[in-house]
Amino acid sequence: MFVTDIRKEFYDIVVNQRVALLVSLDVDALCACKVLQALFHCDQVQYTLVPVKGWQDLGTAFLEHKEQFRYFVLINCGANVDLLETLQPEEETIFFICDTHRPVDVVNVYNDTQIKLLIKQDDDLGVPSYDDIFRDDEEEGGDQDSGNESDGSSEPSGKRRRFDEGAIERRIERQRARREWEARRREILFDYEQYEYHGTASAVVLFELAWVMSKDTKDMLWWAIIGLTDQWVHDRITHMKYVTDIAALQRHVSRHNHCNEDEDNSLSIDCMRICFEYDLRLSLYQHWSLYESICNSCYTLSTFKLWSIQGQKKLQEFLADMGLPLKQVRQKFNSMDIAIKENLRDVIEESSNKYGMKDIRIQTFGVHFGFKNKFLATDVVHAAAALLESVEKDESGTDNFIKALDCLSRSNLDQLHRGIELAKKKLMAIQQTVASCICTHLILSQGPFLYCCLMEGTPDVKLFSKPLALTLLCKYLLKSFARSTRNKRCKILPLVMAAPLDVEKGTVIVMGIPPECETSDKKNFFGRAFEKAAESTSSRTLHDNFDMSIIELKMQDRSKFLDALVTLLS
Amino acid sequence: MDPSEVEFVAEKEMVTIIPNFSLDKIYLIGGDLGPFNPGLPVNVPVWLALNLKQRQKCRIVPPEWMDVEKLEEIREQERKEDMFTPMPSSHYMELTKLLLNHASDNIPRADEIRTLVKDIWDTRVAKLRLSADSFISQQEAHAKLDNLTLMEINTSRMFLLDSLDCMYKLRTNLLSRGGAPKGHDY
Repeated sequence: MFVTDIRKEFYDIVVNQRVALLVSLDVDALCACKVLQALFHCDQVQYTLVPVKGWQDLGTAFLEHKEQFRYFVLINCGANVDLLETLQPEEETIFFICDTHRPVDVVNVYNDTQIKLLIKQDDDLGVPSYDDIFRDDEEEGGDQDSGNESDGSSEPSGKRRRFDEGAIERRIERQRARREWEARRREILFDYEQYEYHGTASAVVLFELAWVMSKDTKDMLWWAIIGLTDQWVHDRITHMKYVTDIAALQRHVSRHNHCNEDEDNSLSIDCMRICFEYDLRLSLYQHWSLYESICNSCYTLSTFKLWSIQGQKKLQEFLADMGLPLKQVRQKFNSMDIAIKENLRDVIEESSNKYGMKDIRIQTFGVHFGFKNKFLATDVVHAAAALLESVEKDESGTDNFIKALDCLSRSNLDQLHRGIELAKKKLMAIQQTVASCICTHLILSQGPFLYCCLMEGTPDVKLFSKPLALTLLCKYLLKSFARSTRNKRCKILPLVMAAPLDVEKGTVIVMGIPPECETSDKKNFFGRAFEKAAESTSSRTLHDNFDMSIIELKMQDRSKFLDALVTLLS
Repeated sequence: MDPSEVEFVAEKEMVTIIPNFSLDKIYLIGGDLGPFNPGLPVNVPVWLALNLKQRQKCRIVPPEWMDVEKLEEIREQERKEDMFTPMPSSHYMELTKLLLNHASDNIPRADEIRTLVKDIWDTRVAKLRLSADSFISQQEAHAKLDNLTLMEINTSRMFLLDSLDCMYKLRTNLLSRGGAPKGHDY
């Protein structure tokens, strides 16, 4: 059931208990976890933090901890599948789920005792009404009653026969009504569960909890901003929703700024200041050189078509048009001439309008504390995601999780800088892979979708065995392909991407994303499609990820799986 | 003594806070504290104030002397005098560091205060070094320094004691060696 008063029905209950926090592996979950941890520290609540990678991990973690804990808080996992069925918990266990995955499973919605959903109900949920999908079994009892009556009565046989006929007719009528109801139920559920999408960021929901309790700090607000930006960077929410949520957070930002700086006595420079920025859509440009940033950002990469010689020339023209000398532009951003840096954003916006890039600027937030440290929300998202999925040797999943969690605190700036370096490598790898895929025509149209498969020996292919990095690659690739192809039909096709996951086991990770479109509503039907295709061909798949549209598949079953998918979606 | 021990001792000083929760009077070994009522100022030791601040349960009111004009006066006073002037608090350095690290958002013009306190500290420690230097070079038997705080004494304590010890050893060696050759001069 949905929790109406998050403070009374969630926080006041757990504040005196020991809780188990099960956190999924994405940046929004990390931020939500940080906010909740800060609240727990203030109130000295004992908790155990367990990172979970997928459904199997969730099951294992639950089994390990179900003896000791009665209350489980699940962050960014657990809402889109019947949780009670999957985990088989005891009667007293209560789950608090703060998840962005939609659609929320109907059993989770209508369970009153064990499942509490920390989800805002004004998110367009479209949950079917109770009566449409659940029905008490009354007619069984009715049939038996009439049967008994007719058996037990001692009336003459003539009357009994008429009674029997009436009863039989009624029973047939009821069965027919029931079949109709079930057919309608299947249809309603199919429509409801067909498309996967995402709701409000968990970090924002938990920040609002803190705000309701007047315990919100600037650190928590910054984490909420990062959670929302993560959803935008990894293309999980529509642009409209992003802008609306930014406006809501902007109100909080101005409230905090106003609170602290309303006298002449201004704050110490070491205090954290968050400010609204209408900044450029160039990833990590303040920690890199401007040239590198332009070459490796999705928007500019796809608009200029930088994988071709033409594209490179166009870029040179663009820079010349803005009057930026190449030497300056290739330098580290911090060492660029002040005169150039001052008007950079306006100059770039003006020029980019001429080259067809209307939205080079995006609304976002930046933070600065101390004299040296200035970060944009997108920088931190890229850094945290790179740390979370770092494929360096001797690093286990849990280590990466802890490092990524640490880099979000202000006191661990070296971790954050390390994350930024890793993110730069990741973005360069993505750019090179996109360039090679497009130049070698690796993207094939299968009919209802586009398909691309990364080969074993591709450089940096290990990076793409992780879901977040693969998401970015897919997004960049689809955008670039949509710009570069001449085929009008191909521009609006969705993309299915396969990358090698584990060479020894012979598995690949397969992921599907919806078509690239300005007004796309980011609804992804590949989750259900993959399930059905796997069933029909009995391919050996593992639907472990919390996002249903990412699965693992055995390499040998790849072709029959694809064929099934093609037939399913045509 | 370790500087962290000196800081620990300094945390016993009292400071005013404005809590946002309510609690009855609490009876601790060191004394009674409270009762705590939201919005009403109460005096508590610094260790408790910092803990409550980190749990966002209070707002710290800077001590009276932690003010830019007052500190500027004190600094001028210190620079003029040859001797040490009395400090507003016997743990001014530790308190400044603790409060500015954890509660700088409650203290107006925190950066200037940090600079001023550092200036005062530098002046005093320089005077201490000069005084120690003249004490040793003039081979005085005892010296009296008023108005020093524990942290300042602690900076020179180990070095001064060890070096005086070494000098004593050298001097006694010199005297005994000065005596022995007379005995061996036959």
